[in-house]
Amino acid sequence: MIYCYVTGMLPRPRGLIEKTRVYERSGINGKELEESFAKYTDMVIKAQFSAGLNYITDGMLRWQDLLRPFTENLNGITVGSLTRWFNNNTFYRKPIITNSVKPEKKLVKNITYLDKLPKNLLWKAILPAPYTFVFLSENRYYKDEAEFMFKFAEIINEEIKSLEEAGFSYVQLSDPALVYELLAPNFREDKLSLVKDVLGIAVKGTSVKVCLQTFFGDFARILPEALDFPVDHLGIDLYETDFEKLKEYPFEKGVALGIVDSRSSLVEKPNELVTVAKEIIESIYHSNMREVFICPNCDLDFLPWQRAKQKMNVLSGVTKRLGEDFP
Amino acid sequence: MNKLLPTQEIGSLAKPQWRTKGYRGKMLSREEIAEAVNWGGKLGIKNLEELVKLLSEGDSANRKRVVLEWSAKYALRFLETAGLDIVFDGEQFRSEMYKHIIRKIAGFKFLGYVRSFDYRYFNKAACIDKPKYTRSIYLDEFMFTKENAEREIKVPFTGAYTLVEWTFNEHYEKKLSGKIKDFGKGKFKAKREFLFDLIKEVIRPEISKLVDAGAKWIQIDEPAATTNPTVEEMDLFVESFNETVKGYNCTFSLHNCYSHYEVLARYACELRNCSQLSLEFANRDSILAGTGDTRTGYKEIKLFEENGFHGNYGLGVVDVHTNFVEPPELVRDRILHAVKIVGDPGRIYVSTDCGLRTRTWEISFRKLKNMVSGAELARRVLK
Repeated sequence: MIYCYVTGMLPRPRGLIEKTRVYERSGINGKELEESFAKYTDMVIKAQFSAGLNYITDGMLRWQDLLRPFTENLNGITVGSLTRWFNNNTFYRKPIITNSVKPEKKLVKNITYLDKLPKNLLWKAILPAPYTFVFLSENRYYKDEAEFMFKFAEIINEEIKSLEEAGFSYVQLSDPALVYELLAPNFREDKLSLVKDVLGIAVKGTSVKVCLQTFFGDFARILPEALDFPVDHLGIDLYETDFEKLKEYPFEKGVALGIVDSRSSLVEKPNELVTVAKEIIESIYHSNMREVFICPNCDLDFLPWQRAKQKMNVLSGVTKRLGEDFP
Repeated sequence: MNKLLPTQEIGSLAKPQWRTKGYRGKMLSREEIAEAVNWGGKLGIKNLEELVKLLSEGDSANRKRVVLEWSAKYALRFLETAGLDIVFDGEQFRSEMYKHIIRKIAGFKFLGYVRSFDYRYFNKAACIDKPKYTRSIYLDEFMFTKENAEREIKVPFTGAYTLVEWTFNEHYEKKLSGKIKDFGKGKFKAKREFLFDLIKEVIRPEISKLVDAGAKWIQIDEPAATTNPTVEEMDLFVESFNETVKGYNCTFSLHNCYSHYEVLARYACELRNCSQLSLEFANRDSILAGTGDTRTGYKEIKLFEENGFHGNYGLGVVDVHTNFVEPPELVRDRILHAVKIVGDPGRIYVSTDCGLRTRTWEISFRKLKNMVSGAELARRVLK
C-alpha cells in the first residue's frame, strides 16, 4: 500500500509570523500569541487532510527547532548558543548537558494540540532520534556519547508510550545526523551497531509504527546495517541519496520516500515523481512489497506556507497515482 | 597601506531612527531629530540646520535620496572620528545585504518569509528567470562615499555564492527537471548554472562599473561560504570567487563569519587575487587579557597558516554581538597573539568581527575607539 504524510515542522503561515514578531516586540502578550498558535494549528491540520494526507500531524508550529522541547524542558540540560542547522541557513539552540538528564513530565504530548487533531484520521508525531539529539548536543556530563544516547533513548521510549496512549498510531524519529556526511565522515559498523541497540531501547514495549527518517545525507551510507534496525520503516532523502546504490539491497521493511523537495520552492510535476518512485519501489522490493510512504525529504518549514501547501497536494497526487500501480 | 596594523570596518552600521523613518517618509519626533543633531555635533557635521529642515518636511522622492546621503555622511564621519584607517558608509544606502541586491536584479521574485531561527524570519526570493543586470547596485553609494570620505575606502559587495545559497533556484531547476535522473546531481548542476550566470550577467558588470569609477578595493562578503562544507561545494565556492574577481585591476578581499574555519582554511590558498581574509574571531574568544592559551578564539589562524595561506588577515578583535566594550588592552593582546602565530605584523589588519549593525551607535563608537587604541598599543609593543 502507498500512503503519504509530512516529515517535520510545517512553516508558520504569514499571519502567525506577524503575530510572533509582534510578540517579540512585546506588542502582544503570551495569551494572545497562544491563541494565534491554536488558530493557525487548525489551519495547517485542515490543509493536511484537505490535501488527502493519510497521517496528520499538528504541524509543530510552536516548535522552535526539532530539539527545543527537550532542550528547554529536560532537567540536566541548559539552552546553548545558536548553531547552524546542518547545511541550511537556519539555526537551532545547542543543548548543553550539565547533569543527569531527566524529564519532569511528558513533553511532546503536552505541547501537541491533541484536541485539534481529527478523531477520524490517523495521527503522526515526530521526535528527534537519540543519535541526532546526542550528536547535536554538547555533553559535559556523561562519560561518553553512548551512555548519553542510551539515557536519551529511555526518555524517547517513555515519550512514544505516552503518545501511543494519547491516540497516535505513528511516530517518526528524525535522524539527520546519522547520514550527514560531515558529522560522521568515518562512520561504520561499530557505530551503526550502537545505533541499532539504542533504537531497540527507544521502541521497546511500544506498538505504534515507528519510522527512522533520515535526511540531509545519503541513506546508502548506512546500508546494509540500517535494514536490521528495529523500526518499521526507513525514511530516505532522495535529494541526497544515490538511487543506484539503494537498488543493490533487498528491503524487507517499509520505506518513506522523501521525494518532494522541501528545500526547493519549485513545485514538482507529479508525473516525474511517479516515474522515479516506481523505479525505486520495483528495484528495492525483490519479492514482497512493504508499506511505502510518499513524503517530503525533510521539514516543509524551509518554504513559505503557500508553497508548502502546494507541495502537500503533490504528495497526495503522487500517492494516488502510485496507488493505481501498487494497489 | 604603509601603516602597521591598519584599522578597518567590515560593513554595516545600525541605521539611526531619523534615517529609517526619514527614508520611509514618516514624521519624526522631536527626540529623533534631537538625536540627529546631537550626533551631528559630536561628529562635526556641517550645515545641520539643513538636515533638521529636511527631516521636518513632508515626504518626497528627493527627501529619500537626501536622507540616505546625510546618513551615509554621518556614518563616514562616525568611522573616521573613531579613528579607522579604512572606511565605507556603514551601508546606509542599503536595506540589508541580501534584499538590497536582489531587488535590483531582474529574474527574481520574493516568495515570502521563512524561518531563520525562533521568531526570526527572512524574506526569501526565488530565481525565476535568467538573472539580468538592469541598474547599478552599489555604484551610487560608492560614488557618494568616494567623494565624501577622508580615508581609504573599501566597498563591501555581497558575493554570488551567498546570494545563490540564500535563494530558491526555480529557473534552473525547472530547466533541468526530468533531464537528470539523480535528483541531487540535478540540483547541483542547476545551482552551478545559476551561480555562473549570476556572476557573468550581474556581479561582474557591477564590479566593472565600480572599478571604472575608481574603486580600488572590493570586499566580497560570503557568509554562506562554508554552509555546505563538502569538497564539491567548497570547490564550487572557490571557483565562483576566482571567476568573480579575475582580470580586474583592483584589490579584493573575502569576508566570512560564523562559519567552519577548519573547512575554509583548507581552501583559502586556492582563492586567487584575494589579498585579505577578514574573519570573525572575537566572538569565539575569551575576554581575559593575555596572549597564548587564553586566546581560545584565535586557534584557527594556525590552520590557515598550516594550509599555506600567505595573504593578509582582517583580524576580528571586536565582537559585534555583545555590548561588552573590549578594553584596548584586550584588543592589543588579541593582535599580539595573532602576530605571534603569523610571524609578520604586516599581514594583520585590525577589524571588527563583522558589521556592527546590531549595536547602537553609542556602543559601536566606544568599541571602535577602543579598537583603534588597542591597535596603537600593539604598535608600540611591536616597535
